[in-house]
Amino acid sequence: MAVAVAVKVRFFARLRELAGVETEALHVQPNASLSDVYAVLRGMHDALPEQTAVRAALNQEFAEWSTRVRDGDEVAFIPPVSGGR
Amino acid sequence: MRYDVTTEPLDPRELEGVVTHAGAGAICTFTGIVRDNSRGQSVTHLDYEAYAEMAVPQMKKIGEEIKERWPDARVAMAHRTGHLEIGEASVVVCVSAPHRHDAIEACTWGIDRLKESVPIWKKEHAVDGTFWIEGEEAKPAS
Repeated sequence: MAVAVAVKVRFFARLRELAGVETEALHVQPNASLSDVYAVLRGMHDALPEQTAVRAALNQEFAEWSTRVRDGDEVAFIPPVSGGR
Repeated sequence: MRYDVTTEPLDPRELEGVVTHAGAGAICTFTGIVRDNSRGQSVTHLDYEAYAEMAVPQMKKIGEEIKERWPDARVAMAHRTGHLEIGEASVVVCVSAPHRHDAIEACTWGIDRLKESVPIWKKEHAVDGTFWIEGEEAKPAS
C-alpha cells in the first residue's frame, strides 16, 4: 500500500527568490527520486529553472538526481555556487 | 582545524593561530576581499547567503582531502555571510605545512575546491542592478 513520503525542501539564493519561498513541506509518492521532487516543485513554482541548471542535495550532501527520497529527508535545490576567479 | 560560516568580520591572523605549530615552517593564507568593481561596473556592496548546515561539513570534507594529499598540513577556513562592504574579507583559507611549497599548493587547492563545492552564494549590488553570481554568470536578482 502506498504511503506518501514527507520531505522538507529548502531553496537558496536565486532559487529561493524564484520560488518565492525558503522552505516547502512536500508529500511525494514512495520511491520518488530527487528529479521527481523537483518536477513537483516546478509545477508549483513555474519560475524555477530547468533541472539541468540546478544541483540537488539530500540531507546536506550533494546527491544524484536519481536518488530516492525517504520520509523525513531534507532536500535542497542549489544554484551554481559563488565562483570568482 | 577550524571551519566557520559566520556573520562576524573575519580575522586571518586568528585563523593562522589555529594552524600554527612548532613543526610548521610555512603558513599560506588566502583572503578574498570585496572588490569595488565587477563586469566593468561599480559595485556598492555584497550579500553572501549560505546553506550553513551543509557548508560547514563541505569545508570539513575539503580539509580532509587536503590532509590526504598533504598529510603534514593543518587547515582552517572561514566564510563570512550577510552584508559586506568594499574592502572587507569574505573568505579566508589558511594552511600550515613544514615547507612553503606544500602550504602554497594546499591553500590554492583549498580555495579552488571551496569555490566549487561549498554552498555559499554572492549577491552583487552594482550601479547597473543587483545580480546573483553563479560561476562565471551574473543573473539578475528579483
